[in-house]
Amino acid sequence: MIECTDVYKRYRNGVNALYNINLRIDQGEFVYVIGPTGSGKSTLIKLLDGEEVPTKGTVKVIGIDVGRLRRSQVPVYRRNIGVVFQDYRLLPTFTVFENIAYALEVIGMDKTLIRSRVRGVLNLVGLDDKGNAFPKELSGGQQQRVAIARAIANRPKVLIADEPTGNLDPTMSDEIMSVLERINKAYGTTIVMVTHDSGVVNKHRKRTVALEYGHIKADLPGGGYILDDK
Amino acid sequence: MISRFFRPVVEGFKGVWRHAAMSLSSIFSVMMSLILVSLMMMFTFNVRRFTQGLEHSIQIAVTVDYGHEAAEEEDRMALAIKDIPGVTTVTFSSKDDELEYYINSVANEEAKKLFEPYREDGKNPMHDAFYVEVDDGSRLEEITHQIEQIEGVDEVEYGGASATKLVSALNLVRLIGMGLTGALSLLAVFLIANTINTTIENRSMELGIMRNVGAKNSFIRGPFLIEGIIIGLLGSIVPILMTYFGYRYLYGITGGHLVSDMFVLLDPEPFAKQLSLALLAMGVFVGFLGSYISVTRRLRWKR
Repeated sequence: MIECTDVYKRYRNGVNALYNINLRIDQGEFVYVIGPTGSGKSTLIKLLDGEEVPTKGTVKVIGIDVGRLRRSQVPVYRRNIGVVFQDYRLLPTFTVFENIAYALEVIGMDKTLIRSRVRGVLNLVGLDDKGNAFPKELSGGQQQRVAIARAIANRPKVLIADEPTGNLDPTMSDEIMSVLERINKAYGTTIVMVTHDSGVVNKHRKRTVALEYGHIKADLPGGGYILDDK
Repeated sequence: MISRFFRPVVEGFKGVWRHAAMSLSSIFSVMMSLILVSLMMMFTFNVRRFTQGLEHSIQIAVTVDYGHEAAEEEDRMALAIKDIPGVTTVTFSSKDDELEYYINSVANEEAKKLFEPYREDGKNPMHDAFYVEVDDGSRLEEITHQIEQIEGVDEVEYGGASATKLVSALNLVRLIGMGLTGALSLLAVFLIANTINTTIENRSMELGIMRNVGAKNSFIRGPFLIEGIIIGLLGSIVPILMTYFGYRYLYGITGGHLVSDMFVLLDPEPFAKQLSLALLAMGVFVGFLGSYISVTRRLRWKR
């Protein structure tokens, strides 16, 4: 499902973000990518969602060589993966319903189907009654659930979550984790979750890839936070 | 298919409403700019009208020498005058017509009687005359000089240097007006584009999110362009109303001319209508262009 082969990333300003990354994630897996600030986590996410191209090596997601995509192909590629960010990135002037529906309008889905699809994902993330609310009227945890609902509305095969619990307290983080686990089980969606939340990683054990200085320091099938918890 | 076509329109209207405060500031900016453009255009077009009217009203009066008043002689002279480049019309006025005109121009009825004896045969002291109109007021002097060279011409008068000076001055005012209108229109475009640019700058995060969920540039751009057009349309309403009704009012209270009959204002029908349409087109075009440039610039930033 996701295959990084001999991946290097060096930015124009000379910063080497990733060195010789070899990583394979199979369909239906739930994987944490952990690491301190500057370890290359965000760069890895950017390579996966097509925002950046590797300096060397190949990044393949759902069989697509992401680095070889032309600029015009990137939006279409992104319709096949869901991305959730730490800061939610919801359209502030759109209602919850409109935020989720937008991701479906983009692919030209029929309005009736959009309505039923949005209701379905809102139900899955436990926000059935919040369709008409605006993001600012919701708590952080609820906003993140809307972001997740938007990311999965299109039934992507891969969901990339960039620090989805970063702004949340432990209780809300648990809520988000249970939503993600439900999606992983219900749809068989492959989930790559970048985090440095040791509490979450240790409590909800899953395969954990640890990055440090742009290298893969460890790949633990049984999980657990192995880095200094700072 | 239909919903795909109407989606940007519906989203464009929603966008204006969702960002009401920013939309209002853009609409206000369009409104102020178009009011200024409208005023400048009214001024410039009317000055052009004055100049044209004045040029038209300045005639060269050519009197025929007593010895050349035979019909064939006068035909020859008329043809020679017509042949001069820049001459548009040549009108003949007989010495009897000249006398009638002169007598009629005297206001005092007693004084008019003094001229009665000149009506008798052979006593008319006036000359036959030609009245010559030219296409360009600035060439009056040159054409006058050429007419003087024609055989049989007694005297040529065109109002002197003051007439050409007035035409030149009005031409200069017209040119300055046109320059100002052009500069102001450019300023309006810049001002409106800048306001719309700021509006979109504030929404660059929105554009980023739209890209993140897989929207193509054309999908994102559509509603923004419609928003620009709506802002242009709404911003042009007040200037159009001011132009259409304001100009009619001005025309009404001045009686259609300023100071004297020489400065005749353009008729509101169709001028006010044409100017209103121009303002509408300008508002829509500038709104569209401002949005297009701003959005396109922000959609170019990355993969």
